[in-house]
Amino acid sequence: MRRLALACLLLLAAPALAQDVVLPEAGSVSREEGLAAFDRIHAVVSSPRCANCHVGPDNIPRWDGLGLGEDVPHGMNVTAGDSRIGVETLLCSTCHRTVEDGPIAERGAPPHVTTDWRLAPVEMQWHGRTAEEICAQLSDPDTNGGRDWIELAEHLDEDGGHGGFIAFGFDPGPGRAPAPGTLQEHIDDMLTWGAAGQPCPGPVGAVAVEE
Amino acid sequence: MQLTVNGVTREVEVPEEMPLLWVLRDVLGLTGTKYGCGIAQCGACTVHLNGQAVRSCQVRAAELEGADVVTIEGLGTPEAPHPVQAAWIEAQVAQCGYCQSGQIMQAADLLALNPDPTDDQIDAAMGGNLCRCGTYPRIRAAIRDAAGRMRGA
Repeated sequence: MRRLALACLLLLAAPALAQDVVLPEAGSVSREEGLAAFDRIHAVVSSPRCANCHVGPDNIPRWDGLGLGEDVPHGMNVTAGDSRIGVETLLCSTCHRTVEDGPIAERGAPPHVTTDWRLAPVEMQWHGRTAEEICAQLSDPDTNGGRDWIELAEHLDEDGGHGGFIAFGFDPGPGRAPAPGTLQEHIDDMLTWGAAGQPCPGPVGAVAVEE
Repeated sequence: MQLTVNGVTREVEVPEEMPLLWVLRDVLGLTGTKYGCGIAQCGACTVHLNGQAVRSCQVRAAELEGADVVTIEGLGTPEAPHPVQAAWIEAQVAQCGYCQSGQIMQAADLLALNPDPTDDQIDAAMGGNLCRCGTYPRIRAAIRDAAGRMRGA
């Protein structure tokens, strides 16, 4: 995980050294390899551990991947509201505490991570969306938090370094289906996909996100 | 560690992973806050932490240094009950009563944030507080009554 940080430091300090580190060069990966990497990325982001909080404008987190069925709304009539943190109704932090040594995830209890619990921004909806739609969203800085492909990988690496939401997704404790693979594999796939030009499934040049 | 509970500074020596609920009940002897499930599924253990309703079974002692905690014992007194407590008595909300301290603490938090909630807003805020006696209609009525008392105060 630290190798990405090293790569980025080297890039900032001396871009000529980029060829000596793991970070792939833009354009060095074929479209086919990039699409294969995106398939794996999609398997992660569409898994319940990620998509349950990347929900749409109904602002209702899901309890999928708990053995309760599919598209199961969060219990207790919970809605996070437009604030996405429950300030209009019941704050997420009523139950999901922010802890320094997270993630802490007991069976049947609310998980706690090192970042304040909240839904992802609504423009980053993954729950109920197709791979094509998610790919278009992830590759567009207007809808991915203003990140290029390296910054997407940095975002993952940074979270993993302190036990945030993404780290929790891969190690969610008993009773919860984990995101497939490992966080490091996900970071590597993000870089591979990025170096291939972030290709999306479907016709070349298609824009799949519906307004 | 040092924390304030119901306005009184308390010093406790407890493991960092001990839930606040245990600190209150077993260490400080404040048994008005109830243990229901231990996994934030019922709301019986609700208290106020730094002004916000929380499930005390989910708050570990590690985050309590310098914290300000209010429990049902500190919300009001028999002589001067909190408006929510007064409304609860007026409506005779409680049946068995086990969940009621958590209900009252959550309701007080709701009214601190929203002085005139609709029934839908009451339901949304109180959805995590379960009552096996099914006193929900009286809970809702008491919250509306308390809201009126607080606005008129």
